[in-house]
Amino acid sequence: MGRLPTERTALLTPEGVRLGRTASGRADAIDQCGQALLDVGAVSAEYLPAMHEREESVSTFIGEGVAIPHGTDASRQYVKQTSLVVLQFPDGVDWGSGNVAKLCVGIAAHGSEQVGILSSLAMILMDPAKAAELREAPDAETVIRLLQSIDEEN
Amino acid sequence: MSTIEGSAIKKVVIACDAGMGSSVMVASQLAKRLKPYKVSVSHTPVNDIPADADVVLCQSTLLARAKKGSGDKVILGFQSFLGDPVFDKVEAAIRDGGSLAD
Repeated sequence: MGRLPTERTALLTPEGVRLGRTASGRADAIDQCGQALLDVGAVSAEYLPAMHEREESVSTFIGEGVAIPHGTDASRQYVKQTSLVVLQFPDGVDWGSGNVAKLCVGIAAHGSEQVGILSSLAMILMDPAKAAELREAPDAETVIRLLQSIDEEN
Repeated sequence: MSTIEGSAIKKVVIACDAGMGSSVMVASQLAKRLKPYKVSVSHTPVNDIPADADVVLCQSTLLARAKKGSGDKVILGFQSFLGDPVFDKVEAAIRDGGSLAD
């Protein structure tokens, strides 16, 4: 299922980690994720509307106060470089259906390079203590360390 | 309704809308669980389900779209990305034998 990333650090950089943010709602939070992906050079501007489109078709809320906004299959053409960004919203963002997101992991992917980090994310979220540590991370280094801490075996 | 014997399952596919986020997370978790049984797990966009998949798992809201493009395969929906009971059901069928039906 896809090749392993040779330089996983390149997928998630300190520049892509933004802590202590506030958002007026889900659309604003998705815009901020899109802007972060733009800033790190992951996507072109056309990717942003696709992130909203994807969210409207099926929510990207995955549990434990975390959402993973990303584009549609068709919007892959606007991805310049597979990347992830992490935005923290300590006050929470209403994500619909009674869900509140305190952390967003924005994804732009060509292929399967993001598998390692998403696998780590899933492992972290299944451990409530670790999930809280990630949601409340005090600095970018902690976020990156947590998401890269678990070895990918696929 | 389709049925497959646990022993016949060699390839499980996780489908989501873009094949970029949620299906990747689920596939990575399930791949670890099914590795001992030599069952492969991959992720794909829901409109692009491979013909050789034995079992397809997708978010419940995508079931209709998944069924459209996958003939008579066993297709099961899940609600939770993190530890949905359907993942246990698939693992049990593969591990203990028995049939899996949608």
